[in-house]
Amino acid sequence: MKKHRAMIITFLLPASLLYLCFFLIPTIWAFYYSVFDWSGFSSEMKFVGLKNYRRLLLNDPLFWRSFLNSIIILFVGGFFVFFLGFLLSVMINSGIKGKNFFRAFIFLPNVIATVALTTLWAWVIYSPQFGIIGKTLNLIGFHAASKFLWLAPNNVFNSMVIAIIWISVSYYVVLILAGMDKIPTDFYEAAKLEGANQFTIFRTITIPMIWDVVIVSSVLWGISALKTFEFPFSFMSSSEDPHLYTLNVYLFIMGFGKRQPIYQLGYATAIGVILLIVVIIFNIAVRRIGGRDRLEY
Amino acid sequence: MTNNKTVTHFFPPKMHPGKMVVYVFLGLWSAFTAFVIFWVILSSFKTNSEIFRNVFSFPKKFQFINYATALSAEKFGLFFLNSIIVTSASVIILLAISAPASYVLSRVRFPGRRFLTSLYVAGIGIPYSITLIPLFVIMTKLALINTLHGLVLIYVSLSIPFTVYILTGFFSSLPSELEEAGIIDGCNDFQVFGHIMLPLASPGLITAAIFNGIGLWNEYQLVLVFVSNQAKRTIALGLYSMQNSMEYTGNWVGLFAGVTIIMLPTIVLFVILSGRMISGLTMGGVKS
Repeated sequence: MKKHRAMIITFLLPASLLYLCFFLIPTIWAFYYSVFDWSGFSSEMKFVGLKNYRRLLLNDPLFWRSFLNSIIILFVGGFFVFFLGFLLSVMINSGIKGKNFFRAFIFLPNVIATVALTTLWAWVIYSPQFGIIGKTLNLIGFHAASKFLWLAPNNVFNSMVIAIIWISVSYYVVLILAGMDKIPTDFYEAAKLEGANQFTIFRTITIPMIWDVVIVSSVLWGISALKTFEFPFSFMSSSEDPHLYTLNVYLFIMGFGKRQPIYQLGYATAIGVILLIVVIIFNIAVRRIGGRDRLEY
Repeated sequence: MTNNKTVTHFFPPKMHPGKMVVYVFLGLWSAFTAFVIFWVILSSFKTNSEIFRNVFSFPKKFQFINYATALSAEKFGLFFLNSIIVTSASVIILLAISAPASYVLSRVRFPGRRFLTSLYVAGIGIPYSITLIPLFVIMTKLALINTLHGLVLIYVSLSIPFTVYILTGFFSSLPSELEEAGIIDGCNDFQVFGHIMLPLASPGLITAAIFNGIGLWNEYQLVLVFVSNQAKRTIALGLYSMQNSMEYTGNWVGLFAGVTIIMLPTIVLFVILSGRMISGLTMGGVKS
């Protein structure tokens, strides 16, 4: 210990200082700001205790809509992300030709900027004027279906969740495949000799063998789903459509606004605190249900 | 029936029907992605009226002017440059401070090591939007709002947890024999790190660089908060603003050119490095 002291300190100091000053302290500070009424960076802060939280939880339908949307993305979106993720992984891993090609191609959306992806989905895929879904449906004879308004207020949230699923699946396919690659092939061969079918093999060999990956992936999905911001915020373009609010979007709108600044800074920070608490609860739940995992924190 | 017959031409006759479903499903999934990307690039060379006339047609004449307009009049050239500066500076500083920290956390025994490691990794679970308002106050006090170096500072600080997580995974997987050999040969701590362990961890460094680089190139929430001056915009924020003004300008082809400009560098990088990226994700994301 003593002989390494110089190295330990010089190596840890720069990263720790930045992390502390520009991430951890602001996080703790947020709890402090959340008990103030504070309407603008240059105006006076007024201590109001838990009033912001009371208003959020008891008196703010928009907050609950955002909360519900976030939860739908987390669970409904999550169901499809993992269902499709496993399906695609098993398919890619089924001994087909071009495994690496398909894996790379499916991962591709992950490297594209979210703000570009929202342009693709809103204006290239869903658009009523020249969206390729509508045009394709029309071309193959489904004239009625081609008129479906993906971006109408009642449909836009579901349309967005579909897009988010499509983007997210790719990431988890790669994680799941990485886990599957580590399973020794003789396990599968033994099971086939015993006459097990694909589904039995998947349930009794694949899932238990990659359980670590499943838990880590669930934690990562929980975090990224709950902090969903960039997609809805640019998907609703110039409007401020509450149909697309998530907790993070609502925080941003209350704090900074979209077109016009709103600057309810204490209130917005309280939303951030609730968001953090929801993330923590989700993580604890996953670990309780999942048992062992290796992402230690 | 006829349909069935034509399909079998593409596959060996003895192919299992289940396998064919697999190829069709994966093929359609990939084709969808490819088609959307191809469509937007192709449309960025059309005129606005051509898009409305026939969405699936080729451009009559390639309108390179769309790109000239995007780069100069819409200032995407400047934004592109800003993004290059911010992204590369952030990645370099991030690695320069995270690699030594990760090395110490994963290879040197000292009291509080486990606690400190957990503290770093905990940052992955903090949705950083909670820090936005406190950070805004701090950045205003430091006069770093609306500056590229202020943005770099934030990008580096908020990316530390993920980077340390990846790099500690790499460092702890290295064999300790070489480290010991270095000590026997008379290297001091710093030389062991610089001459032996850092080169060995270079696949990890490259992985961390690629993922952070792509992530920061694409990021627009933070830059939206900390940069309002048009001259300091990054390309992602530039595209976001262009989207927002679309209902007034109606310049679709310009928007599609903007999309192409922002996504082409990361796609090209991915095509070159996909093998490395996917194996890196494997090692970093689900280390054992």
